Amino acid sequence: MNPAALIPTPDTLQVPWGWFQVLLLLTLFLHIILMNVMLGSGVIALVNLFRAGGEPTPLARDISKKLPFAIAFTVNFGIAPLLFVQVLYGNFLYASSVLMANFWLLIVAFLIIGYYLAYILDYRFDTLHNSRVPIIGLAVASLLTIGFLMSNNFTLMQRPEAWTRYFDRPTGLLLNLSDPTLIPRYLHFMVAAIAVGGLSLALLGEWRVRRGDPGAAAAVRSGCNWFAYATIVNFGIGFWFFGVLPRQVHDLSHFSGVLIAVLLVVAIILGAFSVIYSLQARVMPTLYTVLAAIFVMLLVRDLVRVAYLRPYFSLADLEVVPQYSPLLLFLVIFVAGLALIGWMARLAWRAVTAGEVRS
Amino acid sequence: MNYPIWQLDAAGGGLLIAMMAVFHVYISHFAVGGGLFLVLTEMKGLREGNPAIVDFVRKHTKFFLLLTMVAGSMTGVGIWFTIALLNPAATSELIHIFVFAWAIEWVFFVLEIVSLFIYYYTFGRMDDRNHVRIGWIYFIAAWLSLFVINGIIDFMLTPGQWLTNNNFWSGYFNPTFWPALFFRTFLAIMFAGLYGFLTALNIKEETLRLKMVRYCAVWLVAPFVLFLASAWWYRAALPPELQTLIFERMPEIKPYLTGFWILGPVLMLGGLLMAIRMPRLIIRPIAFVLLVIGLMYMGCFEFIREAGRRPYIIRDYMYSTSIRTADMERVRQNGLLKEAKWVSHRELNRDNTLEAGREIFNILCLPCHSVGGPLNEIRALTQNYTPAGLAAKISGLHTFSPYMPPFAGTDDERLALAAYIATGLNGRRDRLEDVRLDTFAEDPVPPFAMDASEYVLLAWSNEGLRSMTDAGRTWLLLPPGVTINAQLIRRGELPEVVTDGVTLTYALDPEFINPAERTDFWEYAGELYNRDIPNNTGLSGNGPSGTMSPVENGFIAELLPVIPYPATNTFMPYPAVTITATDQSGTILASTRVVAPESTEMGCRTCHGGGWKVQGRAGISQVTAENVLAAHDRISGTRLLELAAMGPVLCNRCHGDSSQNAPGDPERLNLSAAIHGFHANFLAGRGAYYCVLCHPADSGGATRAYRDIHRGLGLDCTYCHGEMENHAISLLQGELKQGKQHAADLMRQIRPAGFKSSEEIAPRSPWVNEPDCLNCHADFQLPQSDTTFNQWTEGKEQLYRNRSDETGKIRCAACHGSPHAVYPADNPYYGNRDSLQPLQYQGDPYPIGSNRNCKVCHTVDMEDEMHHGNMLRLFRNE
Repeated sequence: MNPAALIPTPDTLQVPWGWFQVLLLLTLFLHIILMNVMLGSGVIALVNLFRAGGEPTPLARDISKKLPFAIAFTVNFGIAPLLFVQVLYGNFLYASSVLMANFWLLIVAFLIIGYYLAYILDYRFDTLHNSRVPIIGLAVASLLTIGFLMSNNFTLMQRPEAWTRYFDRPTGLLLNLSDPTLIPRYLHFMVAAIAVGGLSLALLGEWRVRRGDPGAAAAVRSGCNWFAYATIVNFGIGFWFFGVLPRQVHDLSHFSGVLIAVLLVVAIILGAFSVIYSLQARVMPTLYTVLAAIFVMLLVRDLVRVAYLRPYFSLADLEVVPQYSPLLLFLVIFVAGLALIGWMARLAWRAVTAGEVRS
Repeated sequence: MNYPIWQLDAAGGGLLIAMMAVFHVYISHFAVGGGLFLVLTEMKGLREGNPAIVDFVRKHTKFFLLLTMVAGSMTGVGIWFTIALLNPAATSELIHIFVFAWAIEWVFFVLEIVSLFIYYYTFGRMDDRNHVRIGWIYFIAAWLSLFVINGIIDFMLTPGQWLTNNNFWSGYFNPTFWPALFFRTFLAIMFAGLYGFLTALNIKEETLRLKMVRYCAVWLVAPFVLFLASAWWYRAALPPELQTLIFERMPEIKPYLTGFWILGPVLMLGGLLMAIRMPRLIIRPIAFVLLVIGLMYMGCFEFIREAGRRPYIIRDYMYSTSIRTADMERVRQNGLLKEAKWVSHRELNRDNTLEAGREIFNILCLPCHSVGGPLNEIRALTQNYTPAGLAAKISGLHTFSPYMPPFAGTDDERLALAAYIATGLNGRRDRLEDVRLDTFAEDPVPPFAMDASEYVLLAWSNEGLRSMTDAGRTWLLLPPGVTINAQLIRRGELPEVVTDGVTLTYALDPEFINPAERTDFWEYAGELYNRDIPNNTGLSGNGPSGTMSPVENGFIAELLPVIPYPATNTFMPYPAVTITATDQSGTILASTRVVAPESTEMGCRTCHGGGWKVQGRAGISQVTAENVLAAHDRISGTRLLELAAMGPVLCNRCHGDSSQNAPGDPERLNLSAAIHGFHANFLAGRGAYYCVLCHPADSGGATRAYRDIHRGLGLDCTYCHGEMENHAISLLQGELKQGKQHAADLMRQIRPAGFKSSEEIAPRSPWVNEPDCLNCHADFQLPQSDTTFNQWTEGKEQLYRNRSDETGKIRCAACHGSPHAVYPADNPYYGNRDSLQPLQYQGDPYPIGSNRNCKVCHTVDMEDEMHHGNMLRLFRNE
């Protein structure tokens, strides 16, 4: 069976695809950062608690208090890229989602479980005793599983040649386990999350140091170490990942192949600098370089998908029936929303830092 | 069609989305109304200077946050995941049409969580004025989320002008946008009170607890009138045809409508009850019960809205099966298996019927039906059908069940789908082999001496076969009653029809003289006809034997009590009657035997379930009979099944039947028009196959009623009566001419076969305007045509059974036999039983007098064609 014949016909766009591509990259960038903070700090809290034999540690308590926020914002900022990716690649993504439907839907269950466990940890951290490690372990396992399922779907969607297995198993129980890129890709994302999680703790420590808490310097060092070592490991995983990508991805005879190569070199350089900075416990330079590296890697990620799908599909083929007014309204509301969030954040910041107490 | 189908089976039929959606919608409405509740209650606490109220708000916010942010938000994402898995095509449409509406909704969602976190975590840490402002921002963002989603949800129900202009704003601000927005807003406010009970009851201080519980009760009860007004507005904003569909034509919605009307006042009463001072031990369970009732209330509404959209996922644009209305005709022409992307069987053949049927099922049925699950379980819904019956049902499903989409595929694909469901899932099959008949030795031919016999006694049954609906005490469509006619002719050069001074008696064969022992008809006949009908007596008072009544040029024995069961659980539809003519002294002048055909092999079970009642081949079982009434009740809004529990239903009491001299209700369609008109919506396009699905004329069936020479020549029912669709239209046109508009309703979806429009088909009355033999055999000559549909006899007098020859003395049927069994006819049980008289009088099975056998009556050869033209010649089709 010709896999190309299985690809659903896409629907029309209201504005040219570039708009969605930009929105996708921007919102995905935010989502990935938040996801990294959420998952990475969760893993670090688990390791920290485990090392302490389950006894409450300030670091684990700190993370536990913030985990629900991180989950809420990660999910929230996951919605927008999921929306825009469906606009551009819905005909691929819906098909692969159906193929692994049971697992795909389980993400919601894992999310609710992980989220509620995070709240239990938040509200009852000090009274949980022996349950701390299992609870945070389960929460982290839920989040890691979600990541694994996400990796499955986003690799399966770009491999129509693997879709024909549907006819032997139409019950939504397929995964993309036969894809040699699955595991390195998944690990690449997860280990990056641990690195960024560590960096987020270093960042928190740095802020506390600046506010006059010298005890927080250890947290800066520890967070930077987590970042540095995880990133070093991730270099290895990244090369593994790159090595198993199909030839069409690093085909230098094609523009996208050249672009991928160039961007990868840029990302590697940025990554290397971030490791160096973190080993020097220079938090802010680490942050800037790693944010840039993540953004470049997301560009690579997108170009890899384009290369995968090149035999079947090009974004430029998507038909546009222009209607700009909804986009305009969205942009206005988006900007107004950001302003309002800024205003609220300022109020909240003042309230928290100034210790305002209601009369 | 464009996407793979998640083959869910038991969890299919929308179960996943129902579970996810009802739960989410209940919480998300609370997330809106509850937001208003929080900020207004906080303001109340501040205004009254009551920190205990503010503390209650803080506690309620924690509950609110945990419920709405986790369960509410995550199930919201869950709905998105679920619809994309269950109906990716529609999801893709909604995503692409409203991408920026979704994006805007996301901004509001961000605002919601940011503001709610700040609101909760800054209780007591932010100044009151700003804290209240944050509360308002939360509520407004939440309400705007509702505002955005509401437009998209209602677009699916009423896309309005978008269908023609594809404009975002036309689709978004669709006809039900505003009423639905108010409806949901008031509902959200009411739910805020409902959820408020839960935390208010936790207040330890009794006075405050009572105060806050009453405060919550006000939230629940006060908006109810406005809510009802918006519900009325919502309904009024629906297009009229949608209102009719939802509120009148969808019996499946009824429980939810009833639930919605009942649970609203229950909630209100509950709210008032909560205001009474009660111990927490009592009031807390009440609050939980009310919360569950609220969930049911929400569920009822969502089910009504979702079901009301059927058969579409986006009304008038895309069916629930993900097939666009614009693509329907192409799919029908080319076939679903060719048009769908995710199928492995592109061609249908004998070996892959069930597998291909499964693929068709996946695409067309699974979106709304489960296999073995709790929602719209397909096996239960189709258990009554054989594959043939189901194939027929599917073809017209959308006509009487307007929530079902028309079948999208070719006829062969429809058969494959029916085979998969009826056989693959339900294990039912159509009859694979011919019924093995209990054949008998040929009848002894009564004696006749050409040289010596003085009389010729000719006899025939009025109908080639009488049908009787042996459906027990449930309903009666056709009672038993074979009418036998006879003519006695004194032979001679100038023969004479004798009616005076002679007596004709009849006697059914002995095994048929106690019909009351074989059927329960006589147990309820008196009730049905409101008079005493003794056992073994027909509706005209005739018994199994008796004297025939004289009529012009002959004799008649009307409505003999024939039941085609010669023994218990034995079916034989061709009993014989012996007719004897005697003079006044009792001397036998002549005797003959004639078949009295009657069958109970009515094929209702093909679609109405149950088995046969007698010998696995005839009679209507109780299950079948009850299902027929249930179907009538469901479709026509009657209560016949209920009535049948008190006594059998007589069909012709409402639906007149001139063959039974039953006028019925003059406002309603006559029996024949009603039955054919209804069923033709399903039984079209397969010619005579569909006639014999109900009538006992299948050549492999237990009766094989059509047994005359025309069958041998290859003519089937449709040659004279037309295809089912045309046959029905002719009857409905007749009723329409009588001013019965319901005929037009039934006719609307029937496409005439071979005619451009229904208007081309001539109206007719059943049993009056029938096919005329002379249409083909013009002037009694060789037939010029083999079809005669649409040319009817003018009146009863012109019917073959009532007609006489050119002398006006000899009835057509006297020499040619009964309709559908004209000589030579081949009886499936006895071989010669349908031709006993020709065999008796002239030694061959051909019409009396054919092959120049004039001397059967005339005693000499004749040269004039005095009975009708073209008769003096050898029989053509020996």
